Amino acid sequence: MDNSTRTLQPLFAFLAYSLNRVETTFYKIPGSHVVARYVKSSHQDDPGRTVLEILLVIFAIRTLLQSRTRSDSGGKHFIKFSEKEIDELVDEWTPEPLTQPLSAEEQTDLASIPVIVGTNGPKPKLQSGKQVLNLASYNFTGLAGNEVIKERAIETLRKYGLGSCGPPGFYGTIDVHMDLERDIADFLGAESVILYSQAFSTITSVIPAFAKRGDIIVADRGVNFAIQRGLYVSRSTIRWYDHNDLKSLEDVLESVQRETRKRKLPLTRRFIVTEGIFEKDGAMVDLPKIIELKHKYKYRLMLDESFSFGTVGRTGRGLTELYNVPATEVDMLMGSVANTLNASGGFCAGSSFIINHQRVNGPAFIFSATGPALHATSASEGISILRNTPSILTTLHENVRTIRAILDRVDCITIPSHHASPMIHIHVRVPGPSTLQLPGPGAGKPSNPASVQPREPPVFDIEGEERLLQEIIDEAMAQGVWVTRARRLRGQEFVDARPSIRLSVSSAFTKKECEKAANVIKAAAIKVLGRRK
Amino acid sequence: MPSPIALNPISPTKSMFKKRSSTPMASATSYLSAVSQADARARAHGAATPTATPALSLSSSVTSSSEDTVLDEYDNNSDGLTLPLVAPTSEQVFTTVHSEFGHCANESFRYTSSHRLGAPAQETEEPEPPYYIVLTTYLSYILLICIGHVRDFVGKRFHPSFYYHLMPHDGYAPLNSDFDSFYTRRLKTRIDECFSHPVTGVPGRTIMLLDRVSYDHNITSHLTGTKTRALNISSYNYLGFAQARGGCADAVEEGLRRYGVAVGGTRLEGGTSELHVAAEALVARFLGQEDSLISSMGFATNSTVIPALVGKGCLVISDELNHASIRFGVRLSGASVRMFKHNDMESLENLLKEVISQGQPKTHRPWKKILIIVEGLYSMEGTLVNLPRVMELKKKYKFYLFIDEAHSIGAIGPHGRGVADYFGINPREIDLLMGTFTKSFGAAGGYVAGNKSVIDRIRLRGHSGTYAESMGPPVIIQIVASMASIMGVASPLPLARHSSHTSASSVSTVGLLEATEHHPGPAPASALPSWMDLPIELRDGSEGLTRLRRLAFNSRYLSRGLKKLGFITYGHDDSPIVPLLLFHPGKMRMFHRMMKHRETPIVVVVVAYPATSLTTSRVRFCLSAAHTKDDVDIVLRACDEIGDLLDIKNYSGERWSIQRVIDSAVELVNAEDI
Ligand SMILES: Cc1ncc(COP(=O)(O)O)c(C=O)c1O
Repeated sequence: MDNSTRTLQPLFAFLAYSLNRVETTFYKIPGSHVVARYVKSSHQDDPGRTVLEILLVIFAIRTLLQSRTRSDSGGKHFIKFSEKEIDELVDEWTPEPLTQPLSAEEQTDLASIPVIVGTNGPKPKLQSGKQVLNLASYNFTGLAGNEVIKERAIETLRKYGLGSCGPPGFYGTIDVHMDLERDIADFLGAESVILYSQAFSTITSVIPAFAKRGDIIVADRGVNFAIQRGLYVSRSTIRWYDHNDLKSLEDVLESVQRETRKRKLPLTRRFIVTEGIFEKDGAMVDLPKIIELKHKYKYRLMLDESFSFGTVGRTGRGLTELYNVPATEVDMLMGSVANTLNASGGFCAGSSFIINHQRVNGPAFIFSATGPALHATSASEGISILRNTPSILTTLHENVRTIRAILDRVDCITIPSHHASPMIHIHVRVPGPSTLQLPGPGAGKPSNPASVQPREPPVFDIEGEERLLQEIIDEAMAQGVWVTRARRLRGQEFVDARPSIRLSVSSAFTKKECEKAANVIKAAAIKVLGRRK
Repeated sequence: MPSPIALNPISPTKSMFKKRSSTPMASATSYLSAVSQADARARAHGAATPTATPALSLSSSVTSSSEDTVLDEYDNNSDGLTLPLVAPTSEQVFTTVHSEFGHCANESFRYTSSHRLGAPAQETEEPEPPYYIVLTTYLSYILLICIGHVRDFVGKRFHPSFYYHLMPHDGYAPLNSDFDSFYTRRLKTRIDECFSHPVTGVPGRTIMLLDRVSYDHNITSHLTGTKTRALNISSYNYLGFAQARGGCADAVEEGLRRYGVAVGGTRLEGGTSELHVAAEALVARFLGQEDSLISSMGFATNSTVIPALVGKGCLVISDELNHASIRFGVRLSGASVRMFKHNDMESLENLLKEVISQGQPKTHRPWKKILIIVEGLYSMEGTLVNLPRVMELKKKYKFYLFIDEAHSIGAIGPHGRGVADYFGINPREIDLLMGTFTKSFGAAGGYVAGNKSVIDRIRLRGHSGTYAESMGPPVIIQIVASMASIMGVASPLPLARHSSHTSASSVSTVGLLEATEHHPGPAPASALPSWMDLPIELRDGSEGLTRLRRLAFNSRYLSRGLKKLGFITYGHDDSPIVPLLLFHPGKMRMFHRMMKHRETPIVVVVVAYPATSLTTSRVRFCLSAAHTKDDVDIVLRACDEIGDLLDIKNYSGERWSIQRVIDSAVELVNAEDI
């Protein structure tokens, strides 16, 4: 024992010496004393913490050193090939074409899209030379071509130029963007607002900024494609409830709660995602009821108001005004600056914590240039026009009523849209007693929340209906009324929406024009669909 | 070759600007004082007094047109930003506002951005800093992390309200956990003064900052109400088209009157205007492709087009440093992704061999198709893709190629047509060229161009056409006008009334035509809306060419100058993005602040983790055709001084003095190698 210590003596001496050397070298580094003192004192307070921190450092260094492009050639499915075999495989491989060429129908379809000449508005001129009544473009508030806005835009152009030439983080935040954010926040009564440079990319970016893997999102089965994309990239657990059926929502919330309790799952973020007026069919959500449920089950609400902001409520403040609910009750309220303010971009309103979170975590916000200054000032001007001219909204609602009064009585079509919705979808009525209406054997049983398909998915003939609708559209166009099919990305969406014609009513129409438009559509529908039998 | 932006003979034609300059006398006096100041400055710098006669004639007073954008109450030109240091001579008439687009008449400050035929693509080196720099950088981070943890530890006990949002409360999970947000809260917040600085006015050669202060360590900040004009070497304004004045802006104004602000609707429904159709044809022509599709947001161009191309069973091979929009698009598409080391062609080839021979995971079925996505010019590194090598690989491995040219379009290549132009590669051999209009064209949105059948498919299958708002008319007109001015517009030119001074400029047009093997020459006159009446120097492409050549000079001058001063820079010499390595996190804030608080304030962009690796924090300069050589000199001088103070001159190569760099700028730029 004693002997062995003695033999090890030189080694100890050497160790002590090296340690000393390391220490003196370490103290030569500027700032090292502070580090040493910190480590010592924190070690005294909490030795576990030192270990933790050292582990952290090691982990950080390991992550850094690890190549991000590591291949999985060690995986168990890896097959070893010789150089020659690889060359042969490379030679043999023939990829599919990048895209499939368009079919003849698709080509005609693409070519048939009307092209506007000059300013768009309630009665634009088309490239065919025809002047038409426009129920195809979104011009709900009639701001398209507004002279005051044009002047404001020109003024802005002369002060700011056109592009912002930078993302918000790097000198792309212009005062006019901040002004518009404030204007929208004031208009809605929200605490804070963040602007995105495209409406369609807004909610797709907002959802993954908050919802991550493991979080729970309860969503309507009829949500629009932008939301679907957001849900998909968030990689959260998604539970679906039947389209605009708040009873079904409550059941789903209840079942999630039960499951969480039963399996003792940890508390994760939970969101309800739905739309104000649904892009798919114009249905409107019962906001007070949803808010009640969200409070009851402690969910946060993401509400897409792309079509209801600026179109419903006495002055166009959207669903919150219509139902007289403070906007602060909605955690994230998304809207479009393009659809109703006739500029470009989208926004999200919420508490300042929620907005600031997006300024650091919203991919479409951080990694994209801010929109042109003149779009921001045009939108600000649009809001001030809405504020000062309540007649815009009254006329819009009046026009919606006029059109609905005529179309609601047409037998061969059905309208799923809410009565107040300025976006009116028209479906072909399925002739004869449809099996759809009859309660099936599974009726009454709820759908499976994990599947986006409802228990009894509606059956319809997409191609056939689209053809009929297109005939109606062509017929109406011949009479000088421009309407459009609601376009879809068949095959890429979670659920196929029923084909429909979508009318966008504008406050810029006179009562006469509304009656004319509705009557033309009615006649066209009767002509095309009546022929069918 | 005379450049029309710089040196225009006084023409009898009415200029857009002269019409507008209202009070020439007032501006002349202010100009005079500026001239004397400049004079004093020139003497102080030891340079010779300008011998040229200061121009005071009414015809040349455009330089100092007394509009509010030019002579703002905050612009007294004590910093030399609003008026040139050296007054123009009586023959020089500048048609741009100096604060937006600098006046530079010296024809030797020009260069052509092009790859020498036959030469290998430049290997961009990434010099290593001295060992102690790396070590102290790591220590800095460790220190910051430790302090952050201590503050959290203490804070949670004494200021729980501050952590309210990070903790579960009332049965809600926090939106952001304290762990996830640690980096943002404890590291980024410290340097928040470098980010999201609000501005006003044109993001041109200079930019007007809205001054702000923070009283609570960057948690909130307040505008003080004052403004500061600063030299802008940060905006993506490569060709200097961020202008509130000039032929493009005039066209946009006219277009706003004719078309309004927005169309309202999606491209496939009620939102297609004749302008979209015209612009798509022009963009395709510009790029040398068959057809193109434009979309209202650059980010969305990637995120909505990629899912239309690939899906399950397809493989995307992506450079590890690709932009977030590309990753977003790939994630949405559902395709498998593999990454290769940044711009490393060997790594790419090995990966290709592996994935083609192995096929899909588990099943080993062959991939349906393989799409390689690279960027033309990487915005954080300044590296150019090694396109010649990628094209070779493409022939052998039969993948499809998608190039995101957000930063390279307009900014690279003898004709500004991006990397294909730079390397002399036929653009038709590339399947899809994508890019944005936010940068070189001073507009907004993006495009994708390729074969007609592919583009038509994207029109129908891409998400934008069905659901996203279409691009607004003013944006389209800015794109058309700026693009046409780079291309030049083919005859029939309405030249008759300008014939007095076309001889000089037509020379440059010819030069432009000769060199266009792959890039179909000028824009056909029919591609422009019939009402669009661009000024002659835009129509004949001479102004566009000058912009390209000024940008190429500035880019090369700054990156080579910085290297000679002893800084570590990354990227390609011809890249208008010049990253200068700072390494230490603390130096980012200091560098940013010292640049901003100089006599001539300069705004810079600093980037750090997660946009770069942890140790390679950097400042990123974005050059513009709007900068003059004097501006680059100012930047170099500033870097030189600050570099000494902050110890960032870590490059071990040969060192020059700042004066030597400035004096030999032209040789430095024109040298093949340095
Ligand atoms: C490579 C790349 N692609 C796409 C984009 C997005 O373009 P935009 O800012 O026009 O949305 C950027 C912008 O930063 C980019 O760098």
